[in-house]
Amino acid sequence: MTELAEAAKLSTAPVPPQRQPGQGLRRNLRQAWRQLTSMRTALLLLTLLALAAIPGTLLPQRGLNPVAVDTYLAAHPQLGPFLDKLSLFDVFAAPWFAAVYLLLLVSVVGCLVPRIRLHTRALRRRPPVAPRNLTRLATSTEWSADAPPAAVVDAARLLLRSARWRTDIRTEDDGAVSIAAEKGYLRETGNLVFHIALVGLLAGIALGGLFGYKGTVLVVQGQGFANVRSSYDIFQPSRLYSDSQLAPFSFMLQTFSASYQPNGEPRAFDAVVDYRATPDATPALRHIRVNHPLSAAGANVYLVGHGYALHIQVRDAAGRLVYDKDTPFLPDDAMFASHGVVKVPDGLPKQLGFTGFFYPTFGVTPFGPQSTYPGLRDPELDLAAWQGDLGLDSGAPQSVYQLPVASLRHLANRQLSPGQTWRLANGTTVKFAGVDQWATFQVAHDPGKRLVLVAAVLIVAGLLVSLRVRRRRFWVRAVPADGATDARRSVVHAAGLTRSDPDGFSQEFDSLVRRMKD
Amino acid sequence: MPANTSLAHLSDVLLVWTVSAYALAMLGYAAEFAFGRSGGSARAGRAGRAAVVLTVAGWVAHVASVTTRGFAVHRVPWGNMYEFSSMVSLVAVTVFLVLLARQPVRFLGAFVMAPVVLYLGLAGTVLYAKAGPLVPALNSYWIKIHVVAAITASGAFMVSGVVTVLYLLKDRWERRSAGPAPVSIGPGAAAAVEFGDTRVGGLMHWLPASAVLDRLAYRVIAFAFPVWTFAVIAGAIWAEQAWSRYWGWDPKETWSFITWLAYAAYLHARATAGWRGRRAAVLSLIGFGCLMVDYYVVNTVLVGLHSYAGVG
Ligand code: HEM
Repeated sequence: MTELAEAAKLSTAPVPPQRQPGQGLRRNLRQAWRQLTSMRTALLLLTLLALAAIPGTLLPQRGLNPVAVDTYLAAHPQLGPFLDKLSLFDVFAAPWFAAVYLLLLVSVVGCLVPRIRLHTRALRRRPPVAPRNLTRLATSTEWSADAPPAAVVDAARLLLRSARWRTDIRTEDDGAVSIAAEKGYLRETGNLVFHIALVGLLAGIALGGLFGYKGTVLVVQGQGFANVRSSYDIFQPSRLYSDSQLAPFSFMLQTFSASYQPNGEPRAFDAVVDYRATPDATPALRHIRVNHPLSAAGANVYLVGHGYALHIQVRDAAGRLVYDKDTPFLPDDAMFASHGVVKVPDGLPKQLGFTGFFYPTFGVTPFGPQSTYPGLRDPELDLAAWQGDLGLDSGAPQSVYQLPVASLRHLANRQLSPGQTWRLANGTTVKFAGVDQWATFQVAHDPGKRLVLVAAVLIVAGLLVSLRVRRRRFWVRAVPADGATDARRSVVHAAGLTRSDPDGFSQEFDSLVRRMKD
Repeated sequence: MPANTSLAHLSDVLLVWTVSAYALAMLGYAAEFAFGRSGGSARAGRAGRAAVVLTVAGWVAHVASVTTRGFAVHRVPWGNMYEFSSMVSLVAVTVFLVLLARQPVRFLGAFVMAPVVLYLGLAGTVLYAKAGPLVPALNSYWIKIHVVAAITASGAFMVSGVVTVLYLLKDRWERRSAGPAPVSIGPGAAAAVEFGDTRVGGLMHWLPASAVLDRLAYRVIAFAFPVWTFAVIAGAIWAEQAWSRYWGWDPKETWSFITWLAYAAYLHARATAGWRGRRAAVLSLIGFGCLMVDYYVVNTVLVGLHSYAGVG
């Protein structure tokens, strides 16, 4: 490398790979490695990753909306399976997507190792020698001074040191004295911190993906939840998860309240729970709201949904209570028209089942009954009674929200308001005793989260430093005025270099030179 | 709490004033160029100064419009696309004014004002939303942090996009008009007249040298990129609190990430031999295109969790 090129090298960025000496496989491998860790490849891979992410936003994705994927597949019987083979419905879990980011990861690490070495060396080394011909640099000037070279350079050094430049004085063969100064090493440090933090971020994401868990559970007001696997309605463990990660917390849903705007849009939700961190801890009152999860022994509990649970009581002809439960109904629309099923398998001569529609604010439209507001203004319950074998003993799993009506005998229909009782022909009575609410909670535990957060903070900090700080070099050479070694006057050359923001630097350069001349 | 309709109305009126002032300012900047070309540099200077005064006046009205909107709805005034677009324009004008206080960048005036007027016009008509409260999912203090950062970065990216387009034009012109590239002559230069050039040539003479534009675009991106990075991270923190995961490849998240990658590629390109200059500039424009997709295509066409920030 020429002296000038050396002096102008202000970052540890890899130089474009040259043809390597040596021969055969070794040479080819080394060549390939250089290629992989070059700036061009990083650029290419960044662009490729961006391109690879695009189909994931244009096509429905299983991870986000599996129903939409099924719909798409049904609508495109030819194209759909083909796209599916290319993992285009699971883009962010696709092998080709992983290939791009893993290559990028290898490239960053491969690029970082030599850069860290170069930078730590640069931190300890003296600033590079002043190039012989300072006037060849873009920012340069010259003047004459009434002092011998050594004195000129000493004064320059004092000035530069007070401005926190790192300096190094050299006496040259021909009696000239030069000073090399450098500042802004922090730029490279920030840049390295940024790239290292990127690797840390990926590590944190991997940690969460390998060891975390996520589960969803529906809890009716007045009922509780304990954090064991069997309590969950849906449980999604990660690859290396083990049950020992479930912290033994529990909570009881005391009340759930929802408020709405006049047009029915939601305004606020609030779940009040009695929370225990361990089974023998004293319960503490906590609020769980949207945007305010409950932090529970390393996991977070989120409020993700809600709906109505209908309190139904069934008595046999003799008046004995055979069913007395809050049954959750599932909302079908934004106004919380809901559907649900009540199953009464025991205590009656024949098993009894009900399918129901619930309207928190009942209204009749040309399309039939509807709910016109999500709050409980005028609740109505439409029930249909069915008799026969509910199929609960067959052993086949059955949804609590479905009734096998095809094999049942339809008895009658009836609309009920809260408090009303319906007497069926065989003397059985059904009472709509009241309306409660339920809420669904998601419990998520991500052991990599903290690392991800720390890495993210370092990413921003590293970027700010690396894009704000300017690395720059400054040289002054004082030459004896008339060639005599003991001259009392000198000719002074000064020059500076920076890579980013030359406008700002030329101002700094001018002000330094001005102060040196004084 | 219901929205305060008289304050909301005042905010709308102020926005009309804002757009009017900006539009007049745009004409002023254009006049500065026109007079400058025909040799009347005193008149040109007057037109340019008047345009700056109008810009500042419009900016004050703009701040007032945004503030009254906030008070009218008892919340931060960036809860839907209308309010969001107004804020982005405000940041773009602010960035321009801050640059103007430090560097002679009045030549940018017309080119910043044109998209801002267009954008505000669009915001006030197509995207307009009546004043109202936020849905619970948007009701978090992270929305303030996340969205302020996103708006700030977007406004700055918008300015850098304008400068980059000018850079590409100027760069092409410099390479076409063989001979030695003219030195930066800045606004109001009489050189354009002497060359007796075509209209485009005149404009090109009037613009600073491509290297100056290139550096200006870089400086603005170097400001905006860390802010955008922070916005994406703050969004992830918010998502973690609201949806139980900090990242879920929702279309909005994905396009923010793509935008981030594009600008990271731009910064890399600037440090890569053979990619400096024009090719890097094209990458930054692609980044800006991704940003626009992120705001407008994602919110209106691609459905995701974020889509409640919708139009209307
Ligand atoms: C995950 C992928 C990567 C991302 C998101 C990324 C992002 C960035 C960003 C935003 C900058 C600008 C900071 C500045 O200009 O100071 C930068 C600079 C840099 N990156 Fe990366 N980078 C990535 C991978 C790589 C790789 C694989 C290499 C190795 C070749 C690399 C080498 C560099 C270098 C040398 C600079 C400094 C350029 C200069 O001196 O101005 N980066 N990177």
